[in-house]
Amino acid sequence: MTRDLTAEEVERYADGELPPDALPEIEAHLRDCSRCANAVLAVMQMKRAVRAAMPRFAPRRPLVLGKRSPRSLVWLAAAALVIIAVGGEMLVLSRNTSARELADLHSTILAGANPIDVVSTDRHTVKPWFEGRVPFAVNVPDLSATPFRLIGGRVVFWHGRPGAYLLVSKGAHKISLFVFESLPSLGNTPQMTIDEWRASGLTYVAVGDVPREDLEALRRAYGNP
Amino acid sequence: MTEELTFEAMALPLFEPLYNYARWLARDADEAEDLVQETYLKAFRGFGSFTAGTNFRAWIYRILRNTFLTSRSGLRGAPQISIDEDPDRYEGLAEAATPETIFFSRANAEALREAIEALPLPFREVILLSDVESFSYKEIAEMLSIPIGTVTSRLLRARAKVREALRGSK
Repeated sequence: MTRDLTAEEVERYADGELPPDALPEIEAHLRDCSRCANAVLAVMQMKRAVRAAMPRFAPRRPLVLGKRSPRSLVWLAAAALVIIAVGGEMLVLSRNTSARELADLHSTILAGANPIDVVSTDRHTVKPWFEGRVPFAVNVPDLSATPFRLIGGRVVFWHGRPGAYLLVSKGAHKISLFVFESLPSLGNTPQMTIDEWRASGLTYVAVGDVPREDLEALRRAYGNP
Repeated sequence: MTEELTFEAMALPLFEPLYNYARWLARDADEAEDLVQETYLKAFRGFGSFTAGTNFRAWIYRILRNTFLTSRSGLRGAPQISIDEDPDRYEGLAEAATPETIFFSRANAEALREAIEALPLPFREVILLSDVESFSYKEIAEMLSIPIGTVTSRLLRARAKVREALRGSK
């Protein structure tokens, strides 16, 4: 090809829009013609500069499709279950540092621009989403008659273990539910003790490898008979 | 055997890119959120009319864009000027680009952004769709309901305008 590229050809070449069979001839010309090569380069540079210069806006809140309404929260987890309720005060569930770490993880996730990867109020969407992503089946109960609403989920890694993270809301409060196959630092007892209560609009679920009396004592310590 | 994809499986991963694009169209966070919400609603209702196997991404972007165009600010921002669908072809390279073309650096990223923001919508959107969202000409053509040739010429003119603006800002 002896003639210069048209401006349109320059554009289409830079955008990768020329038909493949036109390429050998064009590329041969570009090798010989610095004028055309510069023109192509200029468009490519501009494309790259545009991509870099334009900030990407992230949504401020997750998408909520459809509406579900509320009943009581009965979550079952594979083996261990921790709920951290936030809004006012945060309950640290356990005597060891694991709960603190999970509380920090909860805050970190919520502070991010995109706390969850699968956005759905539909448990039939969320449950299969976890298949192949975490090594256990994630139970997502029907919350439609509860005051809780499923917002979505994501995979979290904690102490090198994959876990399912479900974000649930109750009114303006966000609740993180972490589901792991096992939580070594919380103890490896097969049977976890779970105690649940509500106070000042928050739901507390205490989880631990401790006798039930201990959890009941903890609950009383929080002023809940 | 392929499982038929559900609406959510196809639409949800596009949430962030759609929001980003809505922000560029509407230039306002609240409005962008409304736009995306409405887009999802419309897309969900119209999902039956979506032909499986065709480009879902282009399809839902088109819904977003049409939703924007019929929104208040969309109507307000509609170009009153003709954008010459079939402009005079540039002969050869014209002065589209010369070796000492604008050197794109961090320093003039701001100027570049301003230049793009100042473009009339038809030009702004082709640049965004092509360079930022990496859509192909064919996808853009589908989305904007214009021929591919028009996408090419619009992009050409849009980039020429940006270059012009950058020269002016120097």
